Amino acid sequence: MCVLCGRDFVAQAHWTDRHLEDRARSSGGDPLEYQRDRRRERVRRAVIVDKVLRHYGLRVQEWSGSKYLVRDGKGRSELVQDLGSLWPAAERLAGRPLDPLDPALHEALLRGGRDG
Amino acid sequence: MKNTAVLVNEFGKVGLDHHLLRRADERTVLLGHGCVCCTTREDLVGALLELLDEEDRGSIQPLDRVVIETTGLADPAPILFTVFSHPVLQHHYYVDLVISTVDAMNGEQHLDRNSESSKQIAASDVVVLTKTDVAEVGAAGRLYGKIHGINPYARVIEAPFGEVDSAKLLRPPASPTPARESPVPVDSQHVSRTHSTSLTFDGPVDWAAFGTWFSMLLHARGEEVLRVKGLLDAGGEGPVLLNGVQHVMHPPEHLEEWPNEDHSTRLVFITRGIRSEDLLASLEAFRNLIGAGPRLVEAEAPV
Repeated sequence: MCVLCGRDFVAQAHWTDRHLEDRARSSGGDPLEYQRDRRRERVRRAVIVDKVLRHYGLRVQEWSGSKYLVRDGKGRSELVQDLGSLWPAAERLAGRPLDPLDPALHEALLRGGRDG
Repeated sequence: MKNTAVLVNEFGKVGLDHHLLRRADERTVLLGHGCVCCTTREDLVGALLELLDEEDRGSIQPLDRVVIETTGLADPAPILFTVFSHPVLQHHYYVDLVISTVDAMNGEQHLDRNSESSKQIAASDVVVLTKTDVAEVGAAGRLYGKIHGINPYARVIEAPFGEVDSAKLLRPPASPTPARESPVPVDSQHVSRTHSTSLTFDGPVDWAAFGTWFSMLLHARGEEVLRVKGLLDAGGEGPVLLNGVQHVMHPPEHLEEWPNEDHSTRLVFITRGIRSEDLLASLEAFRNLIGAGPRLVEAEAPV
């Protein structure tokens, strides 16, 4: 971690983030635009993950452009880098397995969709 | 096979003229939560870095390709994980193909009895049938059916008398469509609990939401997802090329254009213990987030 900016040096992007890194590398484009794209996508993803994890009593938000903050209703929280580390952290906080094939999760998501 | 280095676990009896032959004894380092596919093959890291170093110094010819020959029962996932995750290797090497060989004389027996071998077929892009010259008549045909029953994407080629056309063998993968070239009907009856599910969506999917769903699935059920491969319509000019073996995902490629006129999602999941209807129900529940609903194109009946 950099002691000046507090950011981790990440040697490897998670596969869900690779397209942003590839785009930045191939276009050689504006680094500010890349940062904006990246931030926007991370915020959007946090909103999506938040909708999924509500079923487990957890909330997720983007944190500082470089992390996701996962927290439970008891005030416990974990900071994670990407989706690869988010699911294990959420599972620790939830205290039970997170399974996208679980019919109870399906019911909660469908109910959430109906309720808007 | 010019400018090709070959890394082997054990030296074979036959030397390979003009090829660089190195021995790389298997050394693995277990990472993370201790699952087998997320291990780093330190032996390969050392051997592949050494090749880069020697190429840089000019002590060997510039290389076009490295062939890694593993032991018969090796799991390809840790090798892919090693190349994709190593901070240096991931920028210098690209995984082109996973190739398996199946003995036409004994292959059927292995596929029937040995779950590891069906896992290897699931992970393969190309399957080479060996000993077709000495196998009984009809054995190769039945194997085509069994292989495509596990992995409809695998390209199967024959190597009678151990001869194989290397240009054909190493041909880059075409657009991922099921390789239905079997001279006999596909046989999905032999591998208990292995399912092949082909699906599409009724519109473009949201990449962030699909990535959320799929990374969650790999976290929860990674060892049951033997393989995923296909093109995903994520609303861009071209599709996203998805290719994964167990937990290990090739970095998805966001292509600039579609390979043909069909611009719809075509994904195949090869799973063990996860049924097609489980995947569909899950994607249906995520429909509002993903932005499109799943539709089954073809699914092999489980046994």
